This record gives sequence, C-alpha cells and structure tokens, in this order.
Amino acid sequence: MPPEAKLVQSIRRPSIDQSLIGEHPTIVKLRLLIERLAATDATVLITGESGSGKEVVARAIHDHSGRHASAFVPVNCAAIPHELLESEMFGHERGTFTGAAGPRHGLFSSADGGTIFLDEIGEMPMQLQAKLLRLLEDGVVRPVGSDRSTRVNARVIAASNIDLAAAVKRRMFREDLFYRLQVVPLVIPPLRERRSDIPLLVEYFLDRIRARVGARDWTVTREAMVHLWSYDWPGNVRELEHMIERLVILCEDSVIDTAILPDLLLNQTRMSEVREPTTIGDKSLNLNAIVRELEGRLINQALKQTAGNKQAAARLLGLKRTTFAAKLRRCGVIAPSDTEEPEES
Amino acid sequence: MEERQRTAQVMVVDDDPDTVIILARHVQREGYTAIEASSGLECLRILRERSVDLILLDLMMPEMDGFEVCRALKGNQATADIPIIMITARDDLEARAEGMRLGVADFLAKPVFRRQLANRISAQLDAVAAVRTAEAALNRLRGHLGGDKSK
Repeated sequence: MPPEAKLVQSIRRPSIDQSLIGEHPTIVKLRLLIERLAATDATVLITGESGSGKEVVARAIHDHSGRHASAFVPVNCAAIPHELLESEMFGHERGTFTGAAGPRHGLFSSADGGTIFLDEIGEMPMQLQAKLLRLLEDGVVRPVGSDRSTRVNARVIAASNIDLAAAVKRRMFREDLFYRLQVVPLVIPPLRERRSDIPLLVEYFLDRIRARVGARDWTVTREAMVHLWSYDWPGNVRELEHMIERLVILCEDSVIDTAILPDLLLNQTRMSEVREPTTIGDKSLNLNAIVRELEGRLINQALKQTAGNKQAAARLLGLKRTTFAAKLRRCGVIAPSDTEEPEES
Repeated sequence: MEERQRTAQVMVVDDDPDTVIILARHVQREGYTAIEASSGLECLRILRERSVDLILLDLMMPEMDGFEVCRALKGNQATADIPIIMITARDDLEARAEGMRLGVADFLAKPVFRRQLANRISAQLDAVAAVRTAEAALNRLRGHLGGDKSK
C-alpha cells in the first residue's frame, strides 16, 4: 500500500493504538483482543470503572469490524428515563402513548447493519431485560404497541461499571441475559492499576489540545509528573483528560508545575487504597481496618516529608516517638534501610 | 476467581534479606504462597523449575538489577506474561519509564504498606485473569466459527 493510501485510511479509521492509549501489558493485550473481536460478530460485555474508556473500546471494535461503514449507536441506559427506554430502544407505533404522534424507529433499527452500544446495562429495568434477551435470541424487534416484528442485524456491545455477576446474585439482573451478553467478557483496568500509562496519556492529551488550539509546547515538570503519577484517578482517563485541559488553561509560560496542581492531587492522604466498604450495614465493614489504613497513609506521608526521619515524622503527627514506632511496626511499614534504627530493625 | 487467586504463587526478589522476609510475610498474610529469591539470578533459576503468578522485583540489586531480570523474563516466552511489580524510588521517573518500556505492570516505593501491596497484587492478578478469560472465550468462539465454516 502506498504511504498516502495508508495515511488516508488512518484518518478515516483511527487505529486501535490511537483509540486505546497505553503500553501497560494489560492494555497491549486488550488491543490484540479488540482486533480479534472486530473480526467476529460476538456479543461483548465490557466491564470497567466510570471514565476508564468502555465506549472507546466499543467504538474501536466497531471501527475495525466489517460493520464500520454502518452506524455505531451508543445508548446510555442510565440516562434515559425507564418509561422511555423501551420505546427509545425498540421504537413505537403511532398513538401508543400521549405525545406519540407518529411511528418511530427505535435505536436498534438505527443500528441495523452496525453496532449498538448499551452502556450502563445494569440500569436496565427487569422487564426490558426480558425483551432484550428475546431480541438477542431471535434477532427481531417489536416496536411498542405493534404486533409486527422486524428483523434487525445489529451487533450488541454492552458495558457496565458495576459487577454484573454480583447484580445477578442480588437478583437485580437476569442471569440468562448476563450469560447471553458476556459471550466475550472484556475488563478494562482502572487508570490507577496502569499508572505507567499516565505520562503517555498526558502527552497524548497535550498533543490533542495542541492540534486544536495551535502549536504550543507545554512542559510538565518532573515534580508535577510525580504527583500526576501518584494520584489514584477515581474518574480514570476521563478525569485525567479534564485535569490536563484545566492545567493548560491555568499554567503560565507553558509550564505545568506543582504550583497550579489542585490540592486534591498534592494531598496523597486520600483513602483510595482502602477497599473495605465504608457504609454501615455492609457485612465486611471493619472500622479497625479503616483506621489502620488511615494511620498508615499519614505515617507514610510524614515519613516522606521528613525523608525517613522517624523522630521528625512522629512530631509531625503529634505522637510520642515510642507510640509512633509501635504504630510503624503494626502498619507493616518497611522503612528505607538507611533510616532504620537499631531497636526497630 | 477469588479462590484461585488466593493460592497464587508470588515471588519476592530482593537482595536485602530483611525486606524479603517482611514482603513474604505480607504476601502470605494475604493468602498467597510466597517464594523467596535473594537475587535476579536466583529468580531466573527458580523460574526454570516452577511457575509463579506474579513477581515483586526490587530494582536496585547487585550483579543483576531489576531491569536485567525484566529483560530476561520478557525475552522468554514461558515467563513473558508473568506480571512484574517493580520496587523503585517514588520519584525515580526515569527508572519507571525504563520499567514501563520493559513491560513492568506496576511500581511500588518503599516504604511498602501491607494494604497497598495487597491491592496492587490482586489488581494485577485480576487483570491477567480477565485477559485469559476473554482469550479463552474468543478461542471457543473461533472453534465454533471454524466448525461452521467447514460445513
């Protein structure tokens, strides 16, 4: 293929590398899986936290499939009121309900020949789940208020930010539909589990802004990058993207430095490593574990600030040296060996 | 997945015997089996005899440092997919960048916290398990498709 042709093609269809940025081993594997999945018509269930890139992955599968010339129709099942979701998805006949002046095609019909992306599928009401299951099994759509069914050929990609298997156990989601959807289950890791991709993503978002607003080179200082790397990004890639856009506006002389980073990023005492449930009524709630975790985080921060000097760290925390040493042992902290004191090693 | 992961084999590689003991103890407390290695060479030797599910690898080691161990692991098909969590200084971005190029899954800085360690280990094990599940599902599907096509 001549280079120009390749270029044109890459403009028309972004490569998987461009849609799913990252070199983390899991992301590299995910890209290979997407490529293989695109060659099939299999139903896919994508699980991942909010902002981790579920729609990006769904689009990549569609864009590289034989269906790329037809529509990719994203539907957010949580954003459409339950009573409207059915007619939105399957369409309705004229006069079915107040305001239904004429017949209307549903989103499934719009996705005929293409792909329908059902995001936040866990929010779909039970009665609609039954209808979706029938559609997946028979490949036919029956609009609300109609007695005629029409055949649709839409690939279904569903996504959820909650563990659907757990929802099935709680009887909030139909088991038969769950198995029908997760023919191939894809899990996208949260950004904090592939931190090494943060510098790449920062560069990517800066490039995108550069392309949009004109050439300007931003530099991220080393210290700022350490903070970007250390933050847990509960909103994942989307949160990082918004943060970069914000930092570009705030920065002076095109330098992104710690001075313009929000407190959220500078304060590393967030409890995000705590995976214990924190709501009363949760069976595995363990106050001691949560308190220990918080203790550990503050001890860690104090040790970092004092470059490992335990006496100074104890003072920062308002603790006696001996109390601090006891807590240090209990929290399972491994102090840097050069600051290890004889009685504690 | 939970049950299978509970018995996962986690190798701890560090030239400092105290660190190996502490890390191994943390690993065991989380229900994993800990395998101890005091050098990169020992790590590679053990891996010729048995398989492990994850490696906690110190960067700063004499003779063979963490990078060299990574290169050896990634260059061998039998060990290339084992997730590696590398222990580096928190602000050593150059080391982390190099680790990233070599396919390191995650990085930790000393002092290492037990809870943090547990979360990082389970996250990488979960990710590997999820990819394997998807690959297996795709392979089954291909088997079906292949069958259909041959008809």
